[in-house]
Amino acid sequence: MSSRAHASSGVGQRLFLIASAVVAIAALVVAFGPTAAKRVEPATAAASPFPTGEPPLAAEADVFRTNAGVLAIDPGPAPRRSAHPRTLATWRNLRAFPGAPPRIPHGLTPDEFQNGSCNTCHERGGYSQRFGAYVPITPHPEMGACLQCHVGDGQLMAIALPSTDPSARCRQCHTPEAGRWTESTVDWRPIAWPRLPRRAAASEPPPIPHTLEFRANCLSCHAAPAAVAEIRTTHPERADCKQCHLPAGEEAGEFARPARAGGAHRGGAS
Amino acid sequence: MRSVERREFLKGIAAVSAATAGSALAPTALLCATPSYAGETEPPVDWRKAPCRMCGVGCGLLVAIENGRAGAVKGDSASTVGNGLACAKGYYSVQALYGRDRISRARIRRDSGLADAPISEALDLVAQRLRETIRQHGKDSVAIYGSAQWTIPDAYVASKLFKGGIGTNNVESSSRLYAASTMTGLETSFGLDGSIGSYEDVDHADAFILWDINLAETDPVLFSRMLDRRRRDRSVRIVDLTTRTTRTSYASDRSLLHAPHSGLTIANAIAREIVARGWVNRHFVDRHVAFKRGKTGIGHGLTDDALVADGAIASSLDEYKSFLSPYTAERAQQLSGLGADDVRWLATLYGDRARKVMTVWGAEANRHSRGTWQNNLLYNIHLLVGKIATPGNAALSLTGQPSGGSSVHDAGTLTHTLPRGVVASASDRRRAAAIWGVAEDVIAPRPTRTALPLFRALDRGDIRFLWIQATNPMVSLPNLARYRRAAAKEGRFVVVSEAYPTPTSDVADVVLPAAMWLEREGVFANVERPAQHFDQLVPPPGEAMSDAWQMIEVARRMGLSRLFPWDRRDHVARIWEEYRRFHDQPRSALPAFSDLRERRGVVWPIAGGRETKWRYNTARDAAADRARGDFDFYGHADHKAWIWLRPHEPPAESPDRAFPFWLTVGAVLEHSGAGAMTRRIPTLHRSVPRAYLEMNREDARRLGIANREVVRLVSRRGSLEIEARIDYRSRPPRGQLFVPSFDEGVPVGQLMLDAFCPLSGQPDTTICAVRVERVRGRNGP
Repeated sequence: MSSRAHASSGVGQRLFLIASAVVAIAALVVAFGPTAAKRVEPATAAASPFPTGEPPLAAEADVFRTNAGVLAIDPGPAPRRSAHPRTLATWRNLRAFPGAPPRIPHGLTPDEFQNGSCNTCHERGGYSQRFGAYVPITPHPEMGACLQCHVGDGQLMAIALPSTDPSARCRQCHTPEAGRWTESTVDWRPIAWPRLPRRAAASEPPPIPHTLEFRANCLSCHAAPAAVAEIRTTHPERADCKQCHLPAGEEAGEFARPARAGGAHRGGAS
Repeated sequence: MRSVERREFLKGIAAVSAATAGSALAPTALLCATPSYAGETEPPVDWRKAPCRMCGVGCGLLVAIENGRAGAVKGDSASTVGNGLACAKGYYSVQALYGRDRISRARIRRDSGLADAPISEALDLVAQRLRETIRQHGKDSVAIYGSAQWTIPDAYVASKLFKGGIGTNNVESSSRLYAASTMTGLETSFGLDGSIGSYEDVDHADAFILWDINLAETDPVLFSRMLDRRRRDRSVRIVDLTTRTTRTSYASDRSLLHAPHSGLTIANAIAREIVARGWVNRHFVDRHVAFKRGKTGIGHGLTDDALVADGAIASSLDEYKSFLSPYTAERAQQLSGLGADDVRWLATLYGDRARKVMTVWGAEANRHSRGTWQNNLLYNIHLLVGKIATPGNAALSLTGQPSGGSSVHDAGTLTHTLPRGVVASASDRRRAAAIWGVAEDVIAPRPTRTALPLFRALDRGDIRFLWIQATNPMVSLPNLARYRRAAAKEGRFVVVSEAYPTPTSDVADVVLPAAMWLEREGVFANVERPAQHFDQLVPPPGEAMSDAWQMIEVARRMGLSRLFPWDRRDHVARIWEEYRRFHDQPRSALPAFSDLRERRGVVWPIAGGRETKWRYNTARDAAADRARGDFDFYGHADHKAWIWLRPHEPPAESPDRAFPFWLTVGAVLEHSGAGAMTRRIPTLHRSVPRAYLEMNREDARRLGIANREVVRLVSRRGSLEIEARIDYRSRPPRGQLFVPSFDEGVPVGQLMLDAFCPLSGQPDTTICAVRVERVRGRNGP
């Protein structure tokens, strides 16, 4: 029942109108119930808010993921001293290279080891009595098999917790060779850590200097008490980070027009 | 002499800055929602106000001026547009002044191509060719095509020179491409152009319906304001009605996919549901609404005489009800793919008396061969439930460009308009002639051509001289190859005023170097109806001058000096005060220049120095008559808003066997317009360096196309090669494709059909039917 027919063909139009009237009356009979609009959510509303049924594009969607534990704008606990304040140095220490899944810097109970109950703490964050520190928040709590990527230190794993052994706790991060977790047996150097491009002005929002795989939820690293000090945002209440902070993209050089521009080739439409 | 001017100019800046710096840093942080960040110190620089020019939202910025250069930008917390926030384009905007290939000298076409020339010689040549062409081919053989990025003074001078000086209505601007359906929609539904509500509606609404607009990328600061609103009240809902899954979808509470070109049906189906459920606000409708029928079967603007006079035949609520009866939710589902339940759910949002609703739409609804109808049908919904013109109840069309929304067409830069009213009205012509000091019969009583027919006339040779300012039609027009050939034909003289080389300046006979934003004084508007003034803050490069002053120089060379008796130093103030004389009535009263210069942005109409944030609301709009109740829709002679009976009609082109895909063209956050400014800003360029084709994973698999493979896009008008991206930034459903339109190297206009809305003349530059071909030899076997 194209509406072209509706507009042009007289007979078709009449038949169409009659048919539609019947449908309309039927619909009215069925539908005519309550006369005041209620906040009715349709059946489909309970399903995923995204229509395709596919998992959302993380690089676009995760920035909007909200998690009460993440949002430092919700009144959280009064700041307490952390036994392990996070800095860029300690943060890098846990990552073999930029983008590497961080290693687990603490021992695990057998239950934690076998059942991977990491999200109990790492989904919402907050203060951990066990470690005397604020808990970092995972940007991807839906990925349940944590130990697939995040590995620990064999020695630490063997320590039954709660541990009060100070040597064990210190050695989680500090190894005899400064800046290294373990002695390296390979001759390998990671690629350079991302640096912010030189900005033209202090007021310009810095672009995002790193890739976004598994960490497109900006606030999980850049907000909340456990955020790394140097990269903690001053304005976590702004929901759409990428309105101002752009992915650094690719090395594209300067924008340059093709050589013919302004030359004799007038109107060179191809 | 130049250096003296420059010194005086810098002194002037110092004097003014002392005054503005104080007010800029006043304790406005206390008033706005965003916290101030105590302890941060800024270096002591001179922060000056300027509205952002990158999109139609028009955020207030503060620009740091140091040693005669713009060195930094921050959001202006004293501006009620962004309340201290901007987006990436705004923060980086000042870098667009300093591109390496900036045009700072005039260029004249010689045998070897474009060559530098003194600007006085170029202006002499322009004036001479303009005079000669008029003598040989008549007044209507010359035309100016301006810009939705013109300031109001530029627009006003163009209108006065061509309509009042030369006597031709060949005045059009890219506003036609951005804002014409918005304008016609408002004029048909409410009798007057100019938005009804204000951005403050966002702070009050309980539900936002984003109708075919990727607001997170097209109007980011407005979108952020919605997210703020939802953060403060978790019952607030953001609903994304869309043809593809975007960043906006992910931030919304619900995202509802529907097929392209089904918006007319969906809107009518929502209205039908509201009527069927008894949710019509009879108190409002009986007092303030009239029902009208217009012409149907009006074609798609593919011929030049396609503009249609609508007529308005009286109708009634009963007739409207029977008109709506075929538009069942099920029929909408059949045509649009949007679930019937979801249509009903949308109707409940509007129908719920306790909920304030704001509907927002943009390019996809407006750049459509039924753009005016789509606007009417969205207003219909709001009028049925009486949710309009009160804080939080709003229907807002976002037009994309700084002056696209409410200034350029007011200043009379569409063929049918004058700075107030239309050329077809004898009294409007009389008013204009009196203010301009010209004989009444100078102003021609008949409109000539809208944008696309104007370029078609250039193709045919009816137009011989065309002056293009601050816009890039050789990228932005549909069916581009035709118009590129037209501009390059023998016997056509094309003048282009530009700041950077573009495909449009490539076809010019004379290129005039344009002073950009901040390099000249000006006034921009935005879709909220304000006028926002900015001073000249930095000197323009080389011999560049503002578009307005270029036209005044040419007018003087044509013996029209007496129309422009202004000094270069104060001409903006003098133009504004003259422009104001057109609006000596309560319903469009403009602020005095001194107010404009002082304040951050003044939303007209002004009554007793106060802005009007909600028009037609008798408690808030001094022009509205309280005797008529809560509302007075004074735009129409019957003081009513009109609900239009507009049917669904199919588009000029739909996918078929040969061209099976819908191609939608749109914006990304990083770029503005055709990218001439934003691509020269390194951070924005790196983030999105070139256009790409987004397609559905299933479609790509079926066609054997790999991510990042270069493919060929083919339509009935042309073809181009482009890199395919899968699951990149947005996700089109099967059968749909998306390409951003900022890249002159991938001119998607070549593919588009040059159809337009027969009521507004706005071309359909967002959607057409295409096919995708693999490119042999480019990607292996």
